[in-house]
Amino acid sequence: MNPFAVLGIPPSYELELKAVEEKVRQLSRALHPDKFISAGASERRVALGKAVEVNEAWRIVRNPIQRAEALFALGGVAVGETREPAPGQAFLFEVMELREELADAKSNRDAQTLKRLASDVSRRLESTESALAAGFRAAHDDSSRLASIVPTLGQMRFWRRFLDEVSAIEDEMTN
Amino acid sequence: MAYSAKVIEHAENPRNVGTLDKNDPHVGTGLVGAPACGDVMRLQIKVTDGGVIEDAKFKTFGCGSAIASSSLATEWLKGKTIDEANEIRNVDIVQELNLPPVKIHCSVLAEDAIKSAIADYRHKQESLQAVSKTASRG
Repeated sequence: MNPFAVLGIPPSYELELKAVEEKVRQLSRALHPDKFISAGASERRVALGKAVEVNEAWRIVRNPIQRAEALFALGGVAVGETREPAPGQAFLFEVMELREELADAKSNRDAQTLKRLASDVSRRLESTESALAAGFRAAHDDSSRLASIVPTLGQMRFWRRFLDEVSAIEDEMTN
Repeated sequence: MAYSAKVIEHAENPRNVGTLDKNDPHVGTGLVGAPACGDVMRLQIKVTDGGVIEDAKFKTFGCGSAIASSSLATEWLKGKTIDEANEIRNVDIVQELNLPPVKIHCSVLAEDAIKSAIADYRHKQESLQAVSKTASRG
């Protein structure tokens, strides 16, 4: 599925999400079962199928990582599983150090360190996302240039994963 | 997703979690990561002058299968020679832990970690030899 086509928007990393959300609302209204009460069974089924597709497309497009994955797929660049190049050692070293600090903060129930790590990594995630956006802008549809920014997507996943872990620890500590 | 009993056992009681001194010339460190899921794994070996792995430690931040794969790897590494260790394949780990297809990349990560720990150790030994040669020549 091409989620951009489903939503009727041009494929791009940089989207005005508010405008896309409005578009999703319009599409969902037009496909709402209430509009098909007098329609035939097959027409109803088609509308329902489209509504499901619109929801799925919106779920992908509003997520910065999944949106990137969809754009790579459209550009013919394989991502996921073991298809992506290994991250650089310096980057992995940083991730490992931060993960160890996070593990210590968890076992010491150190809320202050947790907060510092969360804002530090949030900033890293933001700047990685900006770098990815710039990469998509520069690559246009050139698949070799697209392939060269795949590692940036990988870095985003490491930071996203880190922040998910922070949320899990915060939940654990407050409960 | 259901984990196999062996994965759960290793994930709940991981063997050899810890750190070896990465500056020790007898220690090789492998640091790898899976960009598709954001898992990171550090695996270290300590090798005797006779080329036998006397100790192995790991630290993995990732899913249960990644933890189990690296835990199992450290168990297998101890007592093996460097050459034997180099023969460990991810499929051996898949088989032992009954990893489902979606978790095969965890075993690949563990194999990569073993390989890069060995490479790091060999690299250290080679540069030590180079240094001692230069020293004896001078």
